[in-house]
Amino acid sequence: MAPKASKGGKAAKQNEGPTEAEEPLQAVVFTDSHEGRFIPFTYSQPRCRLKLANTPLIEYTLEWLASVGVQEVFVHTAGNHSEQVEAYLEQSRWQDTFDSLRTITSAATSIGDAMRDLDEKGLMKGDFISVYGDLVANIDISAALSSHKTRRLKNKDAIMTMILREAGDYHRTKDQHNRQCFVIDSDTSRCIHYEQVRPRKSPRLDIPAEVMKDHVDIDMREDLIDCGIDICTPDSLAQWSDSFDWKRPRKDFVHGVLQDYETFGRTIHTHIVKEGYAARVNSLRAYDAVSKDVVSRWTYPYSPDMNMLADQTYQLAKGNVYREDRVTLARSSSIGRRTVLGEGSSVGEGSVIINSVIGRRCVIGKRVRVENAYIWDDAHIGDDTVVETAIVANEVSIGKKCHVKRGALISQGVKVADGVVVEENMRLAKIERDDDDEVVQGVTDPKIVGEGGEGFLIELNEEEEEVYEALLAGVQDMDLVEDDDDDSDFDSDDEDGAEYEHEMVPAARSGSFASVASNESEEGAELKRKKADFVRTATDSVLDGMTKKQNEDNIQLELQSHRLAENAEDSWIREAVATAFSRYIVALTENEEEPQKPKVAAEAAIMTNQRLITACVKEAGEQAEFLLFLQIDLLHRQQGGEVLLHAAYVLAIEDFVDSVGLQEWWDDSRSSRTQELQDLRDKAEGVVTSMVAAAAAESSEDEESGEDEDDEDEDDE
Amino acid sequence: MPSAIPPPPPSLTTYLRSLEDTPLDKSITTLISLLKRRQIRSSRSCALATTKLLIAVVEAGSPDSSHNTWSSTSALITRIRQVGRKLISAQPKEIVIGNIVRRVLGVIREVADRDSETGNAADLSGSEISGPTSPVTGERSVLPMRLSEFSSRDVLSGRPGTADSIASSTFSAPMAGPPTQQQRPNLMNAPTGTSLFSILQHPQQNPSRSTSSPYATPPAGTQSPALRPSPTSKSTISNAEAGGESLDIKAEVLDGLAELLDELSVVDSQIAESALEHIHSGEVILTHGSSRTVQRFLLTAAGKKRKFTVFVAESYPNDHSATHDTLVNGAQPPVSPDDEGLGGEKGRWRGLTAAGVTVVLVPDMAVFALMPRVNKVLLSPHAVMANGSLLAAAGTEGICLAAKEHRVPVVVLAGVYKLSPVYPFDEEGMVEYGDPSKVVGFAEDGRFVDGVDIVNPLSDFVGAEGVGLYVTNLGGCAPSYLYRVVGDHYRGEDVDLGVEEAGSRV
Repeated sequence: MAPKASKGGKAAKQNEGPTEAEEPLQAVVFTDSHEGRFIPFTYSQPRCRLKLANTPLIEYTLEWLASVGVQEVFVHTAGNHSEQVEAYLEQSRWQDTFDSLRTITSAATSIGDAMRDLDEKGLMKGDFISVYGDLVANIDISAALSSHKTRRLKNKDAIMTMILREAGDYHRTKDQHNRQCFVIDSDTSRCIHYEQVRPRKSPRLDIPAEVMKDHVDIDMREDLIDCGIDICTPDSLAQWSDSFDWKRPRKDFVHGVLQDYETFGRTIHTHIVKEGYAARVNSLRAYDAVSKDVVSRWTYPYSPDMNMLADQTYQLAKGNVYREDRVTLARSSSIGRRTVLGEGSSVGEGSVIINSVIGRRCVIGKRVRVENAYIWDDAHIGDDTVVETAIVANEVSIGKKCHVKRGALISQGVKVADGVVVEENMRLAKIERDDDDEVVQGVTDPKIVGEGGEGFLIELNEEEEEVYEALLAGVQDMDLVEDDDDDSDFDSDDEDGAEYEHEMVPAARSGSFASVASNESEEGAELKRKKADFVRTATDSVLDGMTKKQNEDNIQLELQSHRLAENAEDSWIREAVATAFSRYIVALTENEEEPQKPKVAAEAAIMTNQRLITACVKEAGEQAEFLLFLQIDLLHRQQGGEVLLHAAYVLAIEDFVDSVGLQEWWDDSRSSRTQELQDLRDKAEGVVTSMVAAAAAESSEDEESGEDEDDEDEDDE
Repeated sequence: MPSAIPPPPPSLTTYLRSLEDTPLDKSITTLISLLKRRQIRSSRSCALATTKLLIAVVEAGSPDSSHNTWSSTSALITRIRQVGRKLISAQPKEIVIGNIVRRVLGVIREVADRDSETGNAADLSGSEISGPTSPVTGERSVLPMRLSEFSSRDVLSGRPGTADSIASSTFSAPMAGPPTQQQRPNLMNAPTGTSLFSILQHPQQNPSRSTSSPYATPPAGTQSPALRPSPTSKSTISNAEAGGESLDIKAEVLDGLAELLDELSVVDSQIAESALEHIHSGEVILTHGSSRTVQRFLLTAAGKKRKFTVFVAESYPNDHSATHDTLVNGAQPPVSPDDEGLGGEKGRWRGLTAAGVTVVLVPDMAVFALMPRVNKVLLSPHAVMANGSLLAAAGTEGICLAAKEHRVPVVVLAGVYKLSPVYPFDEEGMVEYGDPSKVVGFAEDGRFVDGVDIVNPLSDFVGAEGVGLYVTNLGGCAPSYLYRVVGDHYRGEDVDLGVEEAGSRV
């Protein structure tokens, strides 16, 4: 805590220096989040370049920024498609529109990292607007800006203003999974508490008592669309930097700052907009909803007939039909309401198009029915085909007499042969990402796309499945356990292979781990999620420390502060430490340059970082649990059994665990729940039996319980 | 310390301010995006921004030359047409942009004509408007009656507008070529149309105007109350000093454009000059929305001790707040082209009630019920078409229909800059549709919004038959006579700019 305070103070002091009277208004655009939700389209294209109503998403965002008077823009990109984003922006009209437009490419994996990166680079001269590259908005924020500025003049601790759009209880553009609840002081519009309500959970808020004491009029609002528009200050960047583990702007940042209010007095304010439109296209469902809004002109003037791009020539006809030049419509074809037709497209005899967006140069055959569909550029649709609510990407060719059913996603370049039925919610692609995250050509599956077709069915793994929201609103009831904060992570697919796994594993595992974690109750979901988060970050930080060969005390200190911040339980710490150890040892054994024997690796890992273990593992029950966590993490790893054997051996020899602990672990039903776990455990049997036998022979000594630094925490429990 | 006032969002004011020190290309793209984003809207703002930009284009000189000059008028015309096309396609529904572009082209052609004349006629008469014909050569005069030019599209498509048939026979195809190559018939020798229409119209002709047509905009010196030293005469003198050499194209054109700017700034007061002829004591006037032109008109009448009643339809849902604001606090004076414009009027105008007028604010739907008691309807449109039809804020058509039903005269106040030479073929396509959340709140009922289509037209198209009289800054005229005024202000070769405008699609 101490370094935090001093650092924050320094940042505040720096800011007192004189700044220019007329600062340019700056903005940061984060482009690389949620690519995973748009799989398979994002395999070859960044999400911000996907077209919404035939205009790339990022155009809407930048257009809005320009309309509110932003002069300098920093586009932050990370991950696979950075170059594409950069190249796109470089030759776009935005270079001339803004005073400066810079692309910042970094290896950041979360908004938090990106913010810290910005702070480090010192690019932000004054207050700035932070948005995502998928924002579609037409709201006027000049009132918010000026009230933010006046507030700042009065009180420098007002470090952020969130702009929220009022919306009713239900709205197609509102995220139904992620109900956010803002508790706001209605006099000062200060946000005094923030919480996310899990879907289908009774909305129970955990409002601190002081909040109720300090504020007379309190609004609790759950009817707001949080579209991620924040007016940030350099001080808020300093806050990000001070808390290295914050990742998400809402869940970590807002929550964290509000929690520390008593200590630092920093405040976050809200500005609730009642007019205008603002929404993020952060899921396929949102894509559907926002497309409809754009076509129905809720986003006016940002509708197709604005012709945002210089080469567009849309004209509006009755019934919100937008047509570009050189569209060929057969005389007997029928174009229904809310339809967008791109340049050079043609629609054959007897075809019906309703409520759909058709890209440029598409060829739609005869007697085709296209309803509620999004068809991107250069697609071909054969005669007598029916396309329902679906996305058909660039250069897709669909044969004659096909049926593309609701929710189907057909990715770039796929060819569907004649007479094929694409079932509901199927995802077809031609390319995929392999384990090294390289784009590779997939193997065509003729069962899916028919003879002569190209493409295959994409199965999402567990993690992706959870993040994935179907295009159809019908599935909105599905319970998303893992995906909590929308603006949270950049996608994990911008990591390299090892990191990838490392991001994925804890999340995927948390489901199966439910039985391991103690005291699960009905309210467990929230806790479980919190725990999974904590374990993941703590594991990362410990592992990072170990890999960098940091002093074990420092690692321990970091872990401790983390633990205090999250109010974590001891068992979570154990899980994190055990997981980190297991990974570290495995990493040592798999080191490409000089692979170490499991024995050496286990010894090296444990002996250099022994205090980490002694701090959290003392009694027999804890020892057993530690071993259990170790075992579970080693499951499915190469040489897992070996590592477990040697780790257990070292632990036993060095007295980190005693025979009672070993025995308890051995007897624990969870350690042998599945055959795989059983197999793994069998490797270590020798150690256990010999140790237990030895202990039985001579009476065991008193336990050495390591360092004192953790004692008081233990008392808390 | 951050300043308390954040930079204002882009608007006409910021645009005009930035025009001085921004590179031309950026100014053009900025205006295009402001128009696309509808951050500059309303006829007056569009006209002002377009004029200012085109002045900057002329000032910047030819892109090919390094001396900020123009080698020939044809180069200038090509350039203006090119910029104009971009502006028009940015917001085809703001008809006024196209009008201004054509007016500017007209100014340039006029200079070009004079240029070629100076070659022939050694002495240039002191007046800019040099009378009906140039006596020596018999070439085309500066401001002849250009009946033929009133709408090339109209003639091309064979549709009879209000045009007379002689026009089509003398019609010359629109072309961008240098005007010297054009063999244009001298229409002054075909006075049939003139006399016919003068019989029908007999407007109060200003005797000081030397031009043959009563509806040509006279030079600034005779027209503008806010007087600037007449640039025309000055430049002519300097030109005369230069001897028979060709005119300084740039300076001449800029003078002409300065007049155009002047016209924009004084248009309201000029229209208001005829207020007393239209508003009489004891009358009940109905108006719609919060047009400054109408406000000025009414204020002028009220200032002359006329007592009358005004019903104001509030123009819900798009302009009602502006209407309320105007009625309570008085109208905001328009953004003036230069700071001293409009005789230094600062702050708001006086409210109508403060001027002693009884004002009744009514919802749009009450118009029909009130119409029997109304003596006159005053409207201010967005744009006026050559055939006498007009585009105005949504709700206008209802008012005009009600007025027709009750035989109430509709008087439309429109500056000449709102007159367009384009014939409205696609009436539907001229209407701008706005944000439906003004009609049904986006947040109000999500499920409802999900299930219905909501439209919010921002403008109405009213046919010529709905209008009784147009009052322009040059005086009043009937809708059927508008084409004459249009003909006086636009050149036939400029009507087709090679770009699709709203309503021009057949």
